[in-house]
Amino acid sequence: MSELVLETEKLEKIYKLGSRRIRALSDINLKVKKGDFISIMGPSGSGKTTLLNILGCLDRPTSGKVILDNVDVTALSEKELYKIRRYKVGFVFQTFNLLPYLSALENVELPMEGTGKSKEEMRKRARELLRLVGLTERENHKPFRLSAGEQQRVAIARALANNPSIVLADEPTGNLDAKTKYEIVRLLGRLNTEQGTTIVMVTHDGAIASHACRVLFLSDGKLLAKEKMGLVAKEKLVCPACGREVQADHAFCPHCGKKL
Amino acid sequence: MKALGALSRALKNISRRKVRTFLVVVALGFSIAIMVSIPAGIMANQESMQRITENFANTITTMQKEINKTATLIECSTTPNRGMQTFRPGGFFGGFNQTFVDETIMDEIRSIEGVKDVIPFLEKSSSENISETINTPWGSRTVYRPAYTIMGVCLNATIIASYPILPTNITTGENLSEGDSGYILISSNLTSYFGVDVGDTVEIEGEPFIVKGVFESSSQPRTVYMNISDAQRVTGLTGKISRLYVYVSDASFATQVADVIKAMYPELYVTSYQDRLENLQRMQEMYTQTLSNAESSIAQAQATATQVIIVAVAAATLIVFFVMLYSVRERTREIGILKAIGFSNWNVMSQFMLEGMLIGLIGGVAGVLIGSIAAPFFSSFLLPQINLFGGAQRMQRPFQTQYPNIIGTQSYSVATLSPQLILAALCAAAVLGALGSLYPAWRASRISPIEALRYE
Repeated sequence: MSELVLETEKLEKIYKLGSRRIRALSDINLKVKKGDFISIMGPSGSGKTTLLNILGCLDRPTSGKVILDNVDVTALSEKELYKIRRYKVGFVFQTFNLLPYLSALENVELPMEGTGKSKEEMRKRARELLRLVGLTERENHKPFRLSAGEQQRVAIARALANNPSIVLADEPTGNLDAKTKYEIVRLLGRLNTEQGTTIVMVTHDGAIASHACRVLFLSDGKLLAKEKMGLVAKEKLVCPACGREVQADHAFCPHCGKKL
Repeated sequence: MKALGALSRALKNISRRKVRTFLVVVALGFSIAIMVSIPAGIMANQESMQRITENFANTITTMQKEINKTATLIECSTTPNRGMQTFRPGGFFGGFNQTFVDETIMDEIRSIEGVKDVIPFLEKSSSENISETINTPWGSRTVYRPAYTIMGVCLNATIIASYPILPTNITTGENLSEGDSGYILISSNLTSYFGVDVGDTVEIEGEPFIVKGVFESSSQPRTVYMNISDAQRVTGLTGKISRLYVYVSDASFATQVADVIKAMYPELYVTSYQDRLENLQRMQEMYTQTLSNAESSIAQAQATATQVIIVAVAAATLIVFFVMLYSVRERTREIGILKAIGFSNWNVMSQFMLEGMLIGLIGGVAGVLIGSIAAPFFSSFLLPQINLFGGAQRMQRPFQTQYPNIIGTQSYSVATLSPQLILAALCAAAVLGALGSLYPAWRASRISPIEALRYE
């Protein structure tokens, strides 16, 4: 229905450990459309993080292509890749990875440095994003004064700073307690529905994965056929709890968090 | 904008590790203080050298003028003459074995062809002694020397009027005049020693004298002028003299007359105008030699100092190098984050270089602060200054007794940091900060983001 943001072709990643060759990913063909919210599930060691790192241009595949916004990023040099990471991709990590000595606001401003924005513009945009993730009151707090959930919200705001084509979230709820987990995944869902943010999220938690529009399974470095999951429809439903529109494939309402 | 953010992050990172930063800054500060103290010391040495050279030239000129005024004077003395002042009574080495001759030789000398006037003096150290502490570069010591010198002069109206035998610079009271007996003229620095002023009575060798006047003379400190007959009486040297001024009627006779006196009285030290000129020349040669020795020791000092500066620069650079290398290691994860959110290799590298430069600069400020206090100490410690110091000191001695106002006592410049030196030190500190962090920063920039993010 809409344009492709990310596409992979026969992606393969092989690690060499001494004389052994470990196939971390093989024949990954993935298509992510604009506005998608995709979950990639799989057990530990299935290659989820490797896939995400390759999609986010932090790592290179052994073979195959990654096409991001119609650009074959696998063909780009290291000097050009940082621009892709800066402008096209937003990363959210399991361990938040905020700079401990910067305030929430400064952490969000960080990716905007060197983009030609003035200090005022950066500040305005960072405030806007912190408001979006519900942390206006906390903008001057350093990470250690924020709860885990709040830190992850700052990280999400940071990922959005340069208005990336895609947000890649690597176990974003992995370090959070049960209640906060849902808050974060709901926030991602809300960004997806309200802002149209394209999200690829890696998780091993089925309940979290079910918030996505599509759930893909990765096992031993291979994507299982999506037909098997039967989660392709994108009809609109109304949440019985809050009355707002939600997508049919959501397990939880992204607005109020009630199970659908 | 980029630079501003990087700068504020660099400052935050530096202030985050306060103890480490403090230690690094102190270590850097000392290196840089040593670095600036050496040029400061060299400059001070050169300044001193220049001043000494100038003073020396002035001294020679002044002496030349003095000597030129005395073309008809032959000085006969029982002690080495005034031309070489090294062993004067009241001079640096204190008392010496004083000898005297009978005043009857005056008549014999007066009978020599061409002699116009013969003027007797009796110069003798007081029997009173004072102790004095002398500071030298090698420590201080106490010496005992006569409290003052008694100078008996011939108070004859014609002689006083014709020849400069009495001090000219009378500050209070009056000069001695014809036939004054029981009166004295004292040098200004003796007023406080005796605790007297003009009109007061003072005891000289057990006899009371009235102070008629006070004179100011730097070449004759601690001298009491009186009638020669009074002097002979109080010193118990009746009929004795210690020096004669022989004036010839024409300057062209001076050398021959001096030769005759020398032959007649081998016990006298006789100096004519010609002798004084030669003495001056010898002195000039000697001092020129000393100056050039001092100059070559300055050159040597500079060569050594350059090596010390190189060591200090290397030490400072190494400090920055290791601190930044450690910092890069410690902040591997942060580097991974920065790269993951789109920082280029250059961004990361410049971030760390900026930090290195800032540490260098802060160290530079500390160095300037330490140096501004410790520069004289460091430079005297690190420069082989003793040669110059000792050499110059030795050179100064003979002058100081006779012409202390010319050479002066404050000949040595203390090493101080000039604004240019401070600016240069700060620039150098920043540059070596950048230099020391070059490799660590480069390494930081090469860290793979996934490796870095996995780093705990």
